[in-house]
Amino acid sequence: MRIYEDLRVVQARLAVLQALAVVLVTALVIQFWNLQVVRARHFRDLAENNRSRLVTLAAPRGALLDREGHVLVGNRPSFSVVLNPEHADDLDRVVARLATTLGVGEATIRERLARRQPYRPVVVKTDASLAEVSALEVRRKELPEVSVVVVPLRSYPLASAAAHALGRVGEITERQLQLPEFQGLAPGSLVGQAGIESRYNHELMGRDGFRRVIVNSHGVEVTEAERQSPDDGPSLTLGIDASLQAVMEKAFEGRAGSAVALDPRTGEILAMTSTPAYDPNEFTTGIDASLWASLATDPRTPLMNRVIQGAYSPGSTFKIIAATAALEEGLITPATTFYCPGYLNVYNTTFHCTHSHGVMDLRRAIANSCNVYFYQVGIRLEISRLAKWAKLMGLGAPTGVDLPHEGTGLMPSPEWKMRLFKTPWYAGETVSVAIGQGQVSATPLQMARVAAVIANGGFLVHPHLVKATAARPFAAEAPVSLGIRPETIAAVKEGMRAVVAEGTGWRARLQAVEVCGKTGSAQVVAKSRLEKSPNDFEMLPHGWFLAFAPADDPKIVLAVLVEHGRSGGESAAPVARQILAHFFGLDRTPGPAGDGPADTEAED
Amino acid sequence: MAGGIDRRLVYNVDWVLLGATLALTLVGVAMIYSATHTGRSPDLYLKQLALVGVGTVGLAVAASLDYRRLADRAMLLYGLSVAALVYVLRFGPVIAGTRRWILIGGFQLQPSELVKLAAAVFAAKVFSEYRQETLGLWDVALPGGAVGLLAVLIARQPDLGTAACLVPLFLAVAFLAGLRMRAVFGLATVMILLAALTWPLLKDYQKTRIYTFLDPSLDPRGAGYQKIQSQIAVGSGGLTGRGFLEGSQAQLGYLPARHTDFVFSVLAEEAGFVGVVVALALYLLVLWRMLETARLARDRLGAFLVAGITGSFAFQVVYNVAMVAGLVPVKGLPLPLMSYGGSSVLSSLMGIGLVLSVRMRRFAN
Repeated sequence: MRIYEDLRVVQARLAVLQALAVVLVTALVIQFWNLQVVRARHFRDLAENNRSRLVTLAAPRGALLDREGHVLVGNRPSFSVVLNPEHADDLDRVVARLATTLGVGEATIRERLARRQPYRPVVVKTDASLAEVSALEVRRKELPEVSVVVVPLRSYPLASAAAHALGRVGEITERQLQLPEFQGLAPGSLVGQAGIESRYNHELMGRDGFRRVIVNSHGVEVTEAERQSPDDGPSLTLGIDASLQAVMEKAFEGRAGSAVALDPRTGEILAMTSTPAYDPNEFTTGIDASLWASLATDPRTPLMNRVIQGAYSPGSTFKIIAATAALEEGLITPATTFYCPGYLNVYNTTFHCTHSHGVMDLRRAIANSCNVYFYQVGIRLEISRLAKWAKLMGLGAPTGVDLPHEGTGLMPSPEWKMRLFKTPWYAGETVSVAIGQGQVSATPLQMARVAAVIANGGFLVHPHLVKATAARPFAAEAPVSLGIRPETIAAVKEGMRAVVAEGTGWRARLQAVEVCGKTGSAQVVAKSRLEKSPNDFEMLPHGWFLAFAPADDPKIVLAVLVEHGRSGGESAAPVARQILAHFFGLDRTPGPAGDGPADTEAED
Repeated sequence: MAGGIDRRLVYNVDWVLLGATLALTLVGVAMIYSATHTGRSPDLYLKQLALVGVGTVGLAVAASLDYRRLADRAMLLYGLSVAALVYVLRFGPVIAGTRRWILIGGFQLQPSELVKLAAAVFAAKVFSEYRQETLGLWDVALPGGAVGLLAVLIARQPDLGTAACLVPLFLAVAFLAGLRMRAVFGLATVMILLAALTWPLLKDYQKTRIYTFLDPSLDPRGAGYQKIQSQIAVGSGGLTGRGFLEGSQAQLGYLPARHTDFVFSVLAEEAGFVGVVVALALYLLVLWRMLETARLARDRLGAFLVAGITGSFAFQVVYNVAMVAGLVPVKGLPLPLMSYGGSSVLSSLMGIGLVLSVRMRRFAN
């Protein structure tokens, strides 16, 4: 017999449970629809980010070579320690371990982590030492998120030599990141920050490659999905002659100042130096804040490239311009003479000369740097024609050299003065400007260009450092003819020949090669003040010397400026001689004996 | 107990339930293969296959048992359960910070999984003895306390997930036994209110502490990581999946516990929404057939037994899949029939065996 129980309540409630099961499973299906169909793309991207990692293959920057192919700036392999924080089990532990292993502050690492881009590895340390790398290798298992990559790093074998011309690299700045020319670069990229490195940054950088690798959940690479090899930056050949550069550096040892050597026929820069300098190697791994601060605030301005940024009174070197202008304007001939009693009273002022030179023609006036002669020339030229010729010969405007942040110097004119000071030009000012004093100022490169005009027979050259890329020569702008008559050139050249042969520049004399030159001294303070404290170094005038050689077929032009060198003949001419001697292979010949005209009195 | 020769028994075997069950175990084996074939134990799927074989034998044995004879021994089963759980707590080996296992001849047995079946038998027996139409809260207090003791013992291992399974198990039986709707809602309201009131008072670190206290097996990277990685796996599977053995989340190790608690993520990633719907449909089919069995049972005991087993089974499936989808907090709870693990497979299959047993005997004396 079967006794059937009353199961009605049970059955009714079972229906409820069945309905509940359907509802719950349906809810789950809806959620899966939402995840897998509606938001599938989002999660597919997340999965892709999970597993694939972009590793940059840094393109080595192009090398900078000297005219003979010697490496001026190259690359060396270095180790960078990078951290992939995405899947770190315990980031705090990793950071702490890294900090102790590498000797980097935890705060520094955290700051770098905070600035990172998502799914990009973070560079924790650049240029790690072999010891640090091997210490990390030992802990490889404990720190799977950390890897070591080989990165080409800039190296400057010449250290501080030609540092301002070659420049330096540094981490891209926030401001640069906004500029179109740096488009596509990530924070932390190294870009040129000065000199050639900056001016030709785009050409030198090449194109970074990348590897897209598949990594597992521990950040360990499983396979490579994609690779694009980097395109190395092309090398650039400069006009610089490394050995001439070395001699120039040596000649400047212990002095502040600058010098530049040009080929007067092309404007190619053969060597240039600015001292004090800095070692660009110290910047290759990014800017160290304290080092930067000390360089930037140093009163001796080691970061400034004096060759193109220093604005100095040209002093008597300006007489080359005055002489050319007067000859071209037909105001004097080489035979024109003026009498120098040691001063000139004009416009109710007494203008001094070093001493009484007596009767001077142009050649002797240049050779002895007679001020009175050029006062007379200036009075006849007047400021407008003087300014016109100065500007024609390149003053008051950048030379267009292929370096960033070039200064312009200043060639004053009545319009300029009225605009700036709202006062008219006084004729007396012209008298000062004619001997390179007063408001006129110029960079050493501008003055080298002036000397080149006389050296090459009347052409204004376009100074440039880069000669060629790996593939083809750079088309430098051709020198521009100024239309100066050959007689004028010959007369000025004759004067400059006499400067070295018998005048104020005798210390630049070479035995086998005839050198032309012009001395100058740029007053730093008014003459009266200098006379009060003649031994205060900071108040001594800068010494100038412009030169070219050989006189008949010039192959090199030089501008040398020795800061606080007193007079150019005394301080700058010997420097120029060392450089020229090397250029002509006369290094071992002795310098001229100390039997030239007296120094300080002989020039201004 | 031997009733296998009765033709009516064989005739009433629920082949649909059996088929759907075995299909799910095979899907599980395939996913375990996918999740582990490149890892340190690439042959886990073979072990799981063997466990499914053993479980199927267990299923057959459970089906051949007359559930009424079994229920007669409900008190003994309950006593054995308490003894086993106390033994585990006192003498069980500590594995991953928990005491859940008994070692028998080189095998790890998780008594709590079998305790679930014993609890279902116990609850069904107690409630089937009641003769009144409706039950109030006081009527369920005593059996509730008894089942609660089991839950507490399991929670102490600690294994909160398995302990939690006893709640729906008990509620399902009590509900069918006629627990007043007022009482049902009352219980639910009290529990929800209690949770809602206390939770915001806790500080974050306290919550974290509670999590880690209750379930130390939580991945050290944090529960958030598991949830995110599982959602990525599920979502990136898309409509049709990334293909068998092609899911990057599973194959590259981003998915945690991918052959155990998160095996469904592997399925979702590699088989996509289509695969998910198929698997969920199979689970729904299993649940539906189980509840059908309860409806067809010849007596209250059978209906209650099936309801208890179904309640626990349904809770595990829904919670685990919801966890995979990122809907509920991550808890260590295997997916019945699919997750790797001997005790879970054995318990699930034997539970289904008991359900089959009830259906087979719907006309038997």
